[in-house]
Amino acid sequence: MRGAGIVLTQELRDLWLDGRALALSLAFSLLLSVIAYLVASNRALNFLEQRETVNLTLQVAVAIGALLALLTAADAVSGERERRTLESLLLTPVSRLALVTGKLLGALSLWLAAFAITVAYVWFLGRGVGIAGDALASGIVVGTLLAVFLTSFGILLSIFSPSNRVSLSLSLFLLLALFAPTQLPSGATSGWAGDLLLRVNPLTAGEHYIGRIVVNGRAWNEDLVWLASPAAAAAVFAALALAIGAHYVRLGGGGSE
Amino acid sequence: MTAAVEANGVGKRYGSLVALEDLSFTAEQGEILGVLGPNGAGKTTAIRILTTILEPTHGTFTVAGVPHTRPAEIRRRTGVLPESAGYPERQTAEEYLRYHARLFGQSRESARTTAAALLDQVGLGDRTKSLIGTHSRGMRQRLGIARALVNHPQVVVLDEPTLGLDPAGQQQMLAIIRRLTAESGATVLLCTHLLAEVEETCTRVLILSRGRVVAQGTIAEVARRAAAPRTATIRIAAEDGERAEAALSPLKVEAAGATLRVFLDGADSNEPLRLLVAARIDVHAYELEAARLSDAFLAMTEAP
Repeated sequence: MRGAGIVLTQELRDLWLDGRALALSLAFSLLLSVIAYLVASNRALNFLEQRETVNLTLQVAVAIGALLALLTAADAVSGERERRTLESLLLTPVSRLALVTGKLLGALSLWLAAFAITVAYVWFLGRGVGIAGDALASGIVVGTLLAVFLTSFGILLSIFSPSNRVSLSLSLFLLLALFAPTQLPSGATSGWAGDLLLRVNPLTAGEHYIGRIVVNGRAWNEDLVWLASPAAAAAVFAALALAIGAHYVRLGGGGSE
Repeated sequence: MTAAVEANGVGKRYGSLVALEDLSFTAEQGEILGVLGPNGAGKTTAIRILTTILEPTHGTFTVAGVPHTRPAEIRRRTGVLPESAGYPERQTAEEYLRYHARLFGQSRESARTTAAALLDQVGLGDRTKSLIGTHSRGMRQRLGIARALVNHPQVVVLDEPTLGLDPAGQQQMLAIIRRLTAESGATVLLCTHLLAEVEETCTRVLILSRGRVVAQGTIAEVARRAAAPRTATIRIAAEDGERAEAALSPLKVEAAGATLRVFLDGADSNEPLRLLVAARIDVHAYELEAARLSDAFLAMTEAP
Protein backbone atom coordinates (compact mmCIF):
# COMPACT_ATOMS: atom_id res chain seq x y z
CA MET A 1 0.00 0.00 0.00
CA ARG A 2 2.82 2.40 -0.84
CA GLY A 3 0.40 4.31 -3.06
CA ALA A 4 -1.97 4.84 -0.12
CA GLY A 5 0.91 6.28 1.88
CA ILE A 6 1.77 8.75 -0.87
CA VAL A 7 -1.88 9.80 -1.23
CA LEU A 8 -2.20 10.13 2.56
CA THR A 9 0.93 12.29 2.79
CA GLN A 10 -0.41 14.64 0.12
CA GLU A 11 -3.87 14.69 1.71
CA LEU A 12 -2.39 15.67 5.07
CA ARG A 13 -0.32 18.36 3.40
CA ASP A 14 -3.34 19.72 1.50
CA LEU A 15 -5.61 19.57 4.56
CA TRP A 16 -3.24 20.96 7.15
CA LEU A 17 -0.95 23.26 5.23
CA ASP A 18 -3.54 24.98 3.05
CA GLY A 19 -5.46 25.93 6.19
CA ARG A 20 -8.80 24.12 5.80
CA ALA A 21 -8.16 21.62 8.59
CA LEU A 22 -6.52 24.30 10.71
CA ALA A 23 -9.55 26.56 10.32
CA LEU A 24 -11.92 23.72 11.24
CA SER A 25 -9.78 22.81 14.25
CA LEU A 26 -9.75 26.43 15.40
CA ALA A 27 -13.54 26.60 15.09
CA PHE A 28 -13.75 23.32 17.01
CA SER A 29 -11.61 24.63 19.87
CA LEU A 30 -13.69 27.83 20.02
CA LEU A 31 -16.88 25.78 20.25
CA LEU A 32 -15.36 23.58 22.93
CA SER A 33 -14.29 26.68 24.86
CA VAL A 34 -17.86 27.96 24.85
CA ILE A 35 -19.21 24.56 25.94
CA ALA A 36 -16.58 24.27 28.67
CA TYR A 37 -17.40 27.77 29.92
CA LEU A 38 -21.13 27.02 30.04
CA VAL A 39 -20.78 23.68 31.82
CA ALA A 40 -18.25 25.12 34.26
CA SER A 41 -20.65 27.99 35.02
CA ASN A 42 -23.49 25.52 35.61
CA ARG A 43 -21.29 23.47 37.89
CA ALA A 44 -20.42 26.58 39.88
CA LEU A 45 -24.15 27.18 40.32
CA ASN A 46 -24.62 23.54 41.36
CA PHE A 47 -26.83 22.78 38.37
CA LEU A 48 -24.39 20.11 37.14
CA GLU A 49 -22.13 17.68 38.89
CA GLN A 50 -18.46 17.69 37.91
CA ARG A 51 -18.74 14.28 36.27
CA GLU A 52 -21.65 15.53 34.20
CA THR A 53 -19.68 18.55 32.99
CA VAL A 54 -16.92 16.24 31.77
CA ASN A 55 -19.44 13.90 30.19
CA LEU A 56 -21.26 16.70 28.36
CA THR A 57 -18.06 18.26 27.07
CA LEU A 58 -16.65 14.93 25.94
CA GLN A 59 -19.87 13.94 24.17
CA VAL A 60 -19.97 17.21 22.26
CA ALA A 61 -16.29 16.84 21.36
CA VAL A 62 -16.79 13.30 20.08
CA ALA A 63 -19.83 14.24 18.01
CA ILE A 64 -18.33 17.39 16.50
CA GLY A 65 -14.92 15.78 15.97
CA ALA A 66 -16.53 12.94 14.04
CA LEU A 67 -18.57 15.49 12.09
CA LEU A 68 -15.38 17.24 10.96
CA ALA A 69 -14.00 13.93 9.69
CA LEU A 70 -17.31 13.22 7.94
CA LEU A 71 -17.35 16.58 6.16
CA THR A 72 -13.75 16.15 5.03
CA ALA A 73 -14.47 12.64 3.73
CA ALA A 74 -17.60 13.81 1.92
CA ASP A 75 -15.39 16.13 -0.13
CA ALA A 76 -12.70 13.55 -0.85
CA VAL A 77 -13.77 12.17 -4.23
CA SER A 78 -16.62 14.47 -5.30
CA GLY A 79 -14.39 17.46 -4.54
CA GLU A 80 -11.64 16.14 -6.81
CA ARG A 81 -14.28 15.45 -9.42
CA GLU A 82 -15.70 18.96 -9.15
CA ARG A 83 -12.25 20.58 -9.29
CA ARG A 84 -11.49 18.37 -12.33
CA THR A 85 -8.40 16.93 -10.67
CA LEU A 86 -9.74 13.39 -10.33
CA GLU A 87 -8.88 12.34 -13.88
CA SER A 88 -5.18 12.98 -13.45
CA LEU A 89 -5.22 10.82 -10.30
CA LEU A 90 -7.06 8.03 -12.09
CA LEU A 91 -4.46 8.17 -14.85
CA THR A 92 -1.71 7.07 -12.48
CA PRO A 93 -0.99 3.40 -11.78
CA VAL A 94 -2.05 3.84 -8.15
CA SER A 95 -5.06 1.62 -7.46
CA ARG A 96 -8.47 3.02 -6.58
CA LEU A 97 -8.21 1.15 -3.28
CA ALA A 98 -4.98 2.97 -2.40
CA LEU A 99 -6.56 6.28 -3.40
CA VAL A 100 -9.60 5.72 -1.19
CA THR A 101 -7.51 4.42 1.72
CA GLY A 102 -5.24 7.46 1.63
CA LYS A 103 -8.18 9.84 1.52
CA LEU A 104 -10.03 8.00 4.29
CA LEU A 105 -7.03 8.13 6.62
CA GLY A 106 -6.47 11.79 5.74
CA ALA A 107 -10.03 12.62 6.75
CA LEU A 108 -9.58 10.71 10.03
CA SER A 109 -6.75 13.07 10.93
CA LEU A 110 -9.41 15.73 11.63
CA TRP A 111 -10.86 13.55 14.38
CA LEU A 112 -7.44 12.86 15.90
CA ALA A 113 -6.69 16.59 15.97
CA ALA A 114 -10.09 17.27 17.53
CA PHE A 115 -9.38 14.68 20.21
CA ALA A 116 -5.97 16.18 20.92
CA ILE A 117 -7.68 19.54 21.52
CA THR A 118 -10.30 17.88 23.73
CA VAL A 119 -7.67 16.40 26.06
CA ALA A 120 -6.90 19.78 27.63
CA TYR A 121 -10.58 20.62 28.26
CA VAL A 122 -11.43 17.22 29.77
CA TRP A 123 -8.35 17.32 31.97
CA PHE A 124 -9.26 20.83 33.16
CA LEU A 125 -12.92 20.04 33.88
CA GLY A 126 -12.21 16.62 35.41
CA ARG A 127 -9.32 17.56 37.67
CA GLY A 128 -9.73 16.58 41.30
CA VAL A 129 -12.17 13.70 40.85
CA GLY A 130 -9.85 11.34 38.98
CA ILE A 131 -12.05 10.72 35.96
CA ALA A 132 -10.05 12.45 33.25
CA GLY A 133 -8.09 9.31 32.32
CA ASP A 134 -11.14 7.07 32.04
CA ALA A 135 -13.08 9.76 30.23
CA LEU A 136 -10.33 10.28 27.66
CA ALA A 137 -9.88 6.54 27.14
CA SER A 138 -13.59 6.04 26.49
CA GLY A 139 -13.62 9.18 24.33
CA ILE A 140 -10.81 8.03 22.04
CA VAL A 141 -12.35 4.57 21.63
CA VAL A 142 -15.91 5.75 20.95
CA GLY A 143 -14.78 8.76 18.91
CA THR A 144 -12.48 6.69 16.72
CA LEU A 145 -15.18 4.09 16.05
CA LEU A 146 -17.69 6.83 15.18
CA ALA A 147 -15.13 8.70 13.08
CA VAL A 148 -14.27 5.55 11.10
CA PHE A 149 -17.98 4.88 10.57
CA LEU A 150 -18.82 8.42 9.51
CA THR A 151 -15.67 8.91 7.42
CA SER A 152 -16.36 5.69 5.54
CA PHE A 153 -19.95 6.76 5.01
CA GLY A 154 -18.73 10.16 3.78
CA ILE A 155 -16.35 8.50 1.33
CA LEU A 156 -19.19 6.35 -0.02
CA LEU A 157 -21.37 9.41 -0.49
CA SER A 158 -18.50 11.19 -2.17
CA ILE A 159 -17.92 8.33 -4.60
CA PHE A 160 -21.54 8.25 -5.74
CA SER A 161 -22.52 11.92 -5.49
CA PRO A 162 -22.73 13.82 -8.75
CA SER A 163 -21.62 17.00 -6.96
CA ASN A 164 -19.90 18.12 -3.80
CA ARG A 165 -23.02 19.94 -2.67
CA VAL A 166 -25.08 16.74 -2.74
CA SER A 167 -22.38 14.85 -0.88
CA LEU A 168 -22.06 17.47 1.89
CA SER A 169 -25.84 17.92 2.21
CA LEU A 170 -26.42 14.18 2.60
CA SER A 171 -23.62 13.99 5.16
CA LEU A 172 -25.20 16.69 7.30
CA PHE A 173 -28.60 15.05 6.94
CA LEU A 174 -27.15 11.74 8.16
CA LEU A 175 -25.59 13.38 11.18
CA LEU A 176 -28.85 15.14 12.09
CA ALA A 177 -30.72 11.85 11.73
CA LEU A 178 -28.25 10.13 14.06
CA PHE A 179 -28.49 12.99 16.54
CA ALA A 180 -32.29 13.09 16.53
CA PRO A 181 -32.81 10.34 19.18
CA THR A 182 -30.68 12.30 21.67
CA GLN A 183 -33.25 15.08 21.54
CA LEU A 184 -36.25 12.86 22.25
CA PRO A 185 -37.97 13.29 25.65
CA SER A 186 -36.75 10.72 28.16
CA GLY A 187 -40.14 8.98 28.13
CA ALA A 188 -39.76 8.19 24.44
CA THR A 189 -36.55 6.23 25.04
CA SER A 190 -37.57 4.35 28.17
CA GLY A 191 -39.51 1.44 26.62
CA TRP A 192 -37.97 -1.51 24.78
CA ALA A 193 -38.33 0.28 21.46
CA GLY A 194 -36.56 3.34 22.81
CA ASP A 195 -33.83 1.19 24.31
CA LEU A 196 -33.37 -0.61 21.00
CA LEU A 197 -33.16 2.71 19.18
CA LEU A 198 -30.43 3.89 21.54
CA ARG A 199 -28.47 0.66 21.15
CA VAL A 200 -28.79 0.41 17.36
CA ASN A 201 -27.87 4.01 16.64
CA PRO A 202 -24.04 4.09 16.72
CA LEU A 203 -23.94 7.70 17.91
CA THR A 204 -26.38 7.34 20.82
CA ALA A 205 -24.94 3.95 21.80
CA GLY A 206 -21.39 5.33 21.83
CA GLU A 207 -22.35 8.39 23.83
CA HIS A 208 -24.31 6.23 26.26
CA TYR A 209 -21.15 4.15 26.82
CA ILE A 210 -19.16 7.30 27.59
CA GLY A 211 -21.88 8.39 30.02
CA ARG A 212 -21.82 5.05 31.86
CA ILE A 213 -18.07 5.34 32.42
CA VAL A 214 -17.81 9.05 33.18
CA VAL A 215 -21.05 9.68 35.11
CA ASN A 216 -21.81 6.26 36.59
CA GLY A 217 -18.19 5.35 37.22
CA ARG A 218 -18.54 1.93 35.60
CA ALA A 219 -15.47 -0.07 34.57
CA TRP A 220 -14.56 -0.03 30.86
CA ASN A 221 -15.54 -3.68 30.39
CA GLU A 222 -18.89 -3.62 32.18
CA ASP A 223 -20.94 -2.06 29.39
CA LEU A 224 -19.12 -3.20 26.30
CA VAL A 225 -22.43 -4.19 24.72
CA TRP A 226 -23.00 -0.47 24.09
CA LEU A 227 -19.95 -0.46 21.83
CA ALA A 228 -21.38 -3.19 19.61
CA SER A 229 -23.26 -0.79 17.36
CA PRO A 230 -20.41 1.74 16.82
CA ALA A 231 -17.91 -1.10 16.30
CA ALA A 232 -20.17 -2.91 13.83
CA ALA A 233 -20.94 0.32 11.95
CA ALA A 234 -17.23 1.18 11.75
CA ALA A 235 -16.27 -2.30 10.51
CA VAL A 236 -19.11 -2.64 8.00
CA PHE A 237 -18.86 0.85 6.53
CA ALA A 238 -15.04 0.82 6.36
CA ALA A 239 -15.17 -2.51 4.51
CA LEU A 240 -17.89 -1.17 2.20
CA ALA A 241 -15.99 2.06 1.50
CA LEU A 242 -12.80 0.19 0.61
CA ALA A 243 -14.51 -2.56 -1.39
CA ILE A 244 -16.78 -0.21 -3.32
CA GLY A 245 -14.11 2.46 -3.67
CA ALA A 246 -11.74 -0.07 -5.21
CA HIS A 247 -14.15 -0.51 -8.13
CA TYR A 248 -16.42 2.52 -8.35
CA VAL A 249 -14.22 5.59 -8.06
CA ARG A 250 -14.98 6.91 -11.51
CA LEU A 251 -14.85 10.12 -13.42
CA GLY A 252 -18.63 10.51 -13.49
CA GLY A 253 -20.68 10.70 -10.30
CA GLY A 254 -23.23 8.06 -9.37
CA GLY A 255 -20.66 5.35 -10.03
CA SER A 256 -21.21 5.90 -13.75
CA GLU A 257 -18.50 6.11 -16.35
CA MET B 1 8.21 -3.50 -34.86
CA THR B 2 5.39 -3.42 -32.27
CA ALA B 3 2.85 -0.65 -32.84
CA ALA B 4 2.78 1.94 -30.07
CA VAL B 5 -1.02 1.92 -30.08
CA GLU B 6 -3.22 -0.63 -31.78
CA ALA B 7 -7.01 -0.66 -31.51
CA ASN B 8 -9.23 -3.37 -32.97
CA GLY B 9 -12.97 -2.81 -33.12
CA VAL B 10 -13.07 -0.83 -29.89
CA GLY B 11 -16.53 0.45 -29.02
CA LYS B 12 -18.43 2.03 -26.17
CA ARG B 13 -22.17 2.01 -25.64
CA TYR B 14 -24.26 3.59 -22.90
CA GLY B 15 -27.47 1.59 -23.14
CA SER B 16 -28.75 2.25 -26.62
CA LEU B 17 -26.47 5.24 -27.12
CA VAL B 18 -23.41 4.45 -29.21
CA ALA B 19 -20.54 6.70 -28.17
CA LEU B 20 -17.89 4.89 -30.17
CA GLU B 21 -18.20 2.15 -32.78
CA ASP B 22 -15.48 -0.11 -34.13
CA LEU B 23 -12.45 2.09 -33.58
CA SER B 24 -9.57 0.41 -35.37
CA PHE B 25 -6.24 2.04 -36.04
CA THR B 26 -2.52 1.73 -35.49
CA ALA B 27 -0.05 4.37 -34.36
CA GLU B 28 3.61 3.65 -34.95
CA GLN B 29 6.38 4.42 -32.56
CA GLY B 30 7.55 8.04 -32.66
CA GLU B 31 4.75 9.38 -34.82
CA ILE B 32 2.34 12.20 -34.02
CA LEU B 33 -1.16 11.05 -34.90
CA GLY B 34 -3.85 13.71 -35.10
CA VAL B 35 -7.27 12.60 -33.86
CA LEU B 36 -9.92 14.80 -35.44
CA GLY B 37 -13.66 15.01 -35.34
CA PRO B 38 -16.51 17.43 -34.72
CA ASN B 39 -18.10 17.77 -31.28
CA GLY B 40 -19.70 14.48 -30.22
CA ALA B 41 -17.65 12.46 -32.70
CA GLY B 42 -16.32 10.22 -29.94
CA LYS B 43 -12.79 11.64 -29.65
CA THR B 44 -12.77 12.05 -25.89
CA THR B 45 -14.46 8.68 -25.39
CA ALA B 46 -11.79 7.08 -27.57
CA ILE B 47 -9.03 8.84 -25.63
CA ARG B 48 -10.54 7.84 -22.29
CA ILE B 49 -10.79 4.22 -23.36
CA LEU B 50 -7.22 4.12 -24.62
CA THR B 51 -5.99 5.71 -21.40
CA THR B 52 -8.01 3.16 -19.33
CA ILE B 53 -10.30 5.72 -17.70
CA LEU B 54 -13.26 4.01 -19.40
CA GLU B 55 -13.70 0.34 -20.18
CA PRO B 56 -14.64 -0.54 -23.74
CA THR B 57 -17.95 -2.32 -24.30
CA HIS B 58 -16.29 -4.37 -27.01
CA GLY B 59 -13.02 -4.65 -28.89
CA THR B 60 -9.40 -4.89 -27.83
CA PHE B 61 -6.41 -2.58 -27.82
CA THR B 62 -2.78 -2.46 -26.82
CA VAL B 63 -0.74 0.53 -25.72
CA ALA B 64 3.06 0.23 -25.78
CA GLY B 65 2.53 -3.48 -26.34
CA VAL B 66 0.44 -3.90 -23.18
CA PRO B 67 -3.06 -5.36 -23.67
CA HIS B 68 -6.09 -3.45 -22.37
CA THR B 69 -6.70 -6.13 -19.76
CA ARG B 70 -3.74 -4.71 -17.78
CA PRO B 71 -4.81 -1.09 -17.25
CA ALA B 72 -2.30 -0.26 -14.49
CA GLU B 73 0.55 -1.32 -16.79
CA ILE B 74 -0.84 0.83 -19.58
CA ARG B 75 -1.05 3.81 -17.23
CA ARG B 76 2.58 3.27 -16.26
CA ARG B 77 3.60 3.72 -19.91
CA THR B 78 1.20 6.47 -20.89
CA GLY B 79 1.20 10.22 -20.29
CA VAL B 80 -2.06 12.09 -20.66
CA LEU B 81 -3.14 15.70 -20.77
CA PRO B 82 -6.92 15.45 -20.35
CA GLU B 83 -9.26 17.98 -21.93
CA SER B 84 -9.95 20.88 -19.52
CA ALA B 85 -7.85 19.32 -16.78
CA GLY B 86 -8.11 20.92 -13.36
CA TYR B 87 -5.16 21.77 -11.16
CA PRO B 88 -4.91 22.11 -7.37
CA GLU B 89 -4.81 25.85 -6.88
CA ARG B 90 -2.97 25.72 -3.57
CA GLN B 91 -0.12 23.47 -4.63
CA THR B 92 3.05 24.76 -6.22
CA ALA B 93 3.98 23.55 -9.70
CA GLU B 94 6.94 21.67 -8.26
CA GLU B 95 4.88 20.04 -5.52
CA TYR B 96 2.23 18.99 -8.06
CA LEU B 97 4.75 17.30 -10.34
CA ARG B 98 6.58 15.69 -7.42
CA TYR B 99 3.29 14.22 -6.17
CA HIS B 100 2.49 12.72 -9.55
CA ALA B 101 6.03 11.40 -10.00
CA ARG B 102 5.66 9.68 -6.61
CA LEU B 103 2.31 8.22 -7.69
CA PHE B 104 4.15 6.73 -10.66
CA GLY B 105 6.48 4.97 -8.26
CA GLN B 106 9.48 7.30 -8.18
CA SER B 107 11.51 7.82 -5.02
CA ARG B 108 11.43 11.21 -3.27
CA GLU B 109 14.80 12.19 -4.73
CA SER B 110 13.97 10.99 -8.23
CA ALA B 111 10.60 12.78 -8.12
CA ARG B 112 12.33 16.02 -7.12
CA THR B 113 14.82 15.71 -9.99
CA THR B 114 12.12 14.81 -12.52
CA ALA B 115 9.92 17.73 -11.46
CA ALA B 116 12.77 20.24 -11.74
CA ALA B 117 13.86 18.95 -15.16
CA LEU B 118 10.34 18.95 -16.61
CA LEU B 119 9.54 22.43 -15.33
CA ASP B 120 12.68 23.67 -17.06
CA GLN B 121 11.72 21.88 -20.27
CA VAL B 122 8.28 23.48 -20.45
CA GLY B 123 9.60 26.91 -19.56
CA LEU B 124 8.31 27.05 -16.00
CA GLY B 125 11.68 26.77 -14.32
CA ASP B 126 11.29 30.21 -12.80
CA ARG B 127 7.81 29.43 -11.37
CA THR B 128 8.53 26.25 -9.46
CA LYS B 129 7.57 27.69 -6.08
CA SER B 130 4.56 29.74 -7.14
CA LEU B 131 1.06 28.46 -6.43
CA ILE B 132 -0.75 27.01 -9.43
CA GLY B 133 -3.65 29.31 -8.60
CA THR B 134 -1.50 32.22 -9.75
CA HIS B 135 -0.66 30.61 -13.11
CA SER B 136 -2.15 31.74 -16.42
CA ARG B 137 -4.07 29.34 -18.67
CA GLY B 138 -1.02 28.85 -20.87
CA MET B 139 1.21 28.11 -17.90
CA ARG B 140 -1.28 25.56 -16.60
CA GLN B 141 -1.37 23.83 -19.98
CA ARG B 142 2.42 23.68 -19.99
CA LEU B 143 2.31 22.27 -16.47
CA GLY B 144 -0.20 19.70 -17.74
CA ILE B 145 2.23 18.68 -20.48
CA ALA B 146 4.97 18.35 -17.88
CA ARG B 147 2.67 16.19 -15.77
CA ALA B 148 1.93 14.00 -18.78
CA LEU B 149 5.67 13.39 -19.18
CA VAL B 150 6.43 12.76 -15.52
CA ASN B 151 6.65 8.99 -16.01
CA HIS B 152 8.77 9.17 -19.20
CA PRO B 153 5.89 7.68 -21.20
CA GLN B 154 6.14 5.71 -24.42
CA VAL B 155 2.77 7.06 -25.54
CA VAL B 156 1.55 10.61 -24.88
CA VAL B 157 -2.11 11.53 -25.31
CA LEU B 158 -2.94 15.22 -25.54
CA ASP B 159 -6.62 16.16 -25.59
CA GLU B 160 -7.06 19.72 -26.87
CA PRO B 161 -3.70 20.97 -25.54
CA THR B 162 -4.14 24.42 -27.09
CA LEU B 163 -7.74 24.95 -25.96
CA GLY B 164 -8.25 28.49 -24.71
CA LEU B 165 -4.77 29.68 -25.67
CA ASP B 166 -4.10 32.76 -27.80
CA PRO B 167 -2.30 32.23 -31.15
CA ALA B 168 1.11 32.89 -29.61
CA GLY B 169 0.31 30.44 -26.81
CA GLN B 170 -0.84 27.85 -29.34
CA GLN B 171 2.39 28.14 -31.31
CA GLN B 172 4.43 27.90 -28.13
CA MET B 173 2.51 24.80 -27.04
CA LEU B 174 2.94 23.10 -30.43
CA ALA B 175 6.65 23.86 -30.38
CA ILE B 176 6.93 22.28 -26.93
CA ILE B 177 5.03 19.19 -28.10
CA ARG B 178 7.23 18.80 -31.18
CA ARG B 179 10.44 19.32 -29.24
CA LEU B 180 9.56 17.04 -26.37
CA THR B 181 8.37 14.22 -28.60
CA ALA B 182 11.45 14.52 -30.80
CA GLU B 183 13.65 14.31 -27.72
CA SER B 184 11.81 11.43 -26.06
CA GLY B 185 10.82 9.47 -29.18
CA ALA B 186 7.35 8.97 -27.73
CA THR B 187 4.26 8.41 -29.84
CA VAL B 188 1.76 11.24 -29.57
CA LEU B 189 -1.99 11.13 -30.07
CA LEU B 190 -3.01 14.75 -30.54
CA CYS B 191 -6.71 15.31 -30.22
CA THR B 192 -7.79 18.73 -31.48
CA HIS B 193 -10.34 20.86 -33.29
CA LEU B 194 -7.70 22.99 -34.96
CA LEU B 195 -6.93 21.58 -38.40
CA ALA B 196 -4.05 23.95 -39.03
CA GLU B 197 -2.48 22.57 -35.87
CA VAL B 198 -2.74 19.06 -37.26
CA GLU B 199 -1.39 19.98 -40.68
CA GLU B 200 1.55 21.65 -39.01
CA THR B 201 2.32 19.00 -36.42
CA CYS B 202 1.00 15.56 -37.30
CA THR B 203 2.44 12.86 -39.49
CA ARG B 204 -0.91 11.08 -39.89
CA VAL B 205 -4.54 11.75 -39.02
CA LEU B 206 -7.54 9.78 -37.83
CA ILE B 207 -10.95 11.36 -38.46
CA LEU B 208 -13.92 10.34 -36.36
CA SER B 209 -17.54 11.16 -37.05
CA ARG B 210 -20.55 10.00 -35.05
CA GLY B 211 -18.48 7.46 -33.16
CA ARG B 212 -16.91 5.89 -36.25
CA VAL B 213 -13.56 6.21 -37.99
CA VAL B 214 -14.28 7.81 -41.37
CA ALA B 215 -10.69 8.25 -42.55
CA GLN B 216 -7.12 7.63 -41.55
CA GLY B 217 -3.74 8.04 -43.21
CA THR B 218 -1.37 10.83 -44.10
CA ILE B 219 -2.94 14.24 -44.64
CA ALA B 220 -2.50 13.95 -48.42
CA GLU B 221 -4.05 10.49 -48.48
CA VAL B 222 -7.04 11.55 -46.41
CA ALA B 223 -7.64 14.63 -48.51
CA ARG B 224 -7.43 12.61 -51.72
CA ARG B 225 -9.69 9.86 -50.39
CA ALA B 226 -12.29 12.37 -49.33
CA ALA B 227 -12.43 13.65 -52.92
CA ALA B 228 -12.39 17.09 -51.46
CA PRO B 229 -13.23 19.70 -54.10
CA ARG B 230 -10.16 21.29 -55.66
CA THR B 231 -9.98 24.80 -57.05
CA ALA B 232 -7.89 26.63 -59.64
CA THR B 233 -7.01 30.31 -59.51
CA ILE B 234 -6.60 31.93 -62.95
CA ARG B 235 -5.28 35.39 -63.72
CA ILE B 236 -6.25 37.04 -67.04
CA ALA B 237 -6.39 40.53 -68.52
CA ALA B 238 -9.09 42.63 -66.85
CA GLU B 239 -10.86 43.32 -70.16
CA ASP B 240 -11.27 39.56 -70.82
CA GLY B 241 -13.27 39.05 -67.63
CA GLU B 242 -16.77 38.72 -69.09
CA ARG B 243 -15.61 36.57 -72.02
CA ALA B 244 -13.69 34.28 -69.66
CA GLU B 245 -16.69 33.80 -67.40
CA ALA B 246 -18.78 32.89 -70.43
CA ALA B 247 -16.13 30.46 -71.68
CA LEU B 248 -15.92 28.78 -68.28
CA SER B 249 -19.69 28.54 -67.90
CA PRO B 250 -19.68 24.70 -67.69
CA LEU B 251 -17.83 25.12 -64.38
CA LYS B 252 -18.63 27.07 -61.22
CA VAL B 253 -16.64 30.34 -61.26
CA GLU B 254 -16.11 33.16 -58.77
CA ALA B 255 -14.75 36.31 -60.43
CA ALA B 256 -12.93 39.15 -58.69
CA GLY B 257 -11.59 41.58 -61.36
CA ALA B 258 -8.84 39.87 -63.29
CA THR B 259 -8.77 36.87 -60.96
CA LEU B 260 -11.07 33.90 -61.41
CA ARG B 261 -11.53 31.07 -58.94
CA VAL B 262 -12.77 27.94 -60.66
CA PHE B 263 -14.21 24.99 -58.72
CA LEU B 264 -13.11 21.84 -60.51
CA ASP B 265 -15.71 19.66 -58.82
CA GLY B 266 -14.38 16.43 -60.34
CA ALA B 267 -13.41 17.98 -63.67
CA ASP B 268 -9.96 17.46 -65.16
CA SER B 269 -7.49 20.03 -63.86
CA ASN B 270 -6.68 21.12 -67.45
CA GLU B 271 -10.34 21.71 -68.36
CA PRO B 272 -10.39 25.48 -67.48
CA LEU B 273 -7.23 26.03 -69.54
CA ARG B 274 -8.71 24.15 -72.51
CA LEU B 275 -11.89 26.26 -72.37
CA LEU B 276 -9.95 29.56 -72.16
CA VAL B 277 -7.58 28.64 -75.01
CA ALA B 278 -10.56 27.61 -77.16
CA ALA B 279 -12.06 31.07 -76.50
CA ARG B 280 -8.69 32.70 -77.42
CA ILE B 281 -8.20 34.28 -74.02
CA ASP B 282 -4.65 34.85 -72.74
CA VAL B 283 -3.89 33.20 -69.40
CA HIS B 284 -1.35 35.13 -67.30
CA ALA B 285 -1.22 32.70 -64.41
CA TYR B 286 -2.76 29.37 -63.49
CA GLU B 287 -2.51 27.96 -59.98
CA LEU B 288 -3.98 24.65 -58.93
CA GLU B 289 -4.78 24.32 -55.23
CA ALA B 290 -4.34 20.92 -53.66
CA ALA B 291 -7.21 19.52 -51.66
CA ARG B 292 -6.92 20.70 -48.06
CA LEU B 293 -7.41 18.81 -44.86
CA SER B 294 -10.17 21.19 -43.87
CA ASP B 295 -12.08 20.39 -47.07
CA ALA B 296 -11.64 16.67 -46.47
CA PHE B 297 -12.70 17.08 -42.85
CA LEU B 298 -15.87 18.90 -43.81
CA ALA B 299 -16.65 16.46 -46.60
CA MET B 300 -16.29 13.50 -44.28
CA THR B 301 -17.99 14.82 -41.19
CA GLU B 302 -20.88 16.88 -42.57
CA ALA B 303 -24.36 15.63 -41.76
CA PRO B 304 -25.88 13.70 -44.70
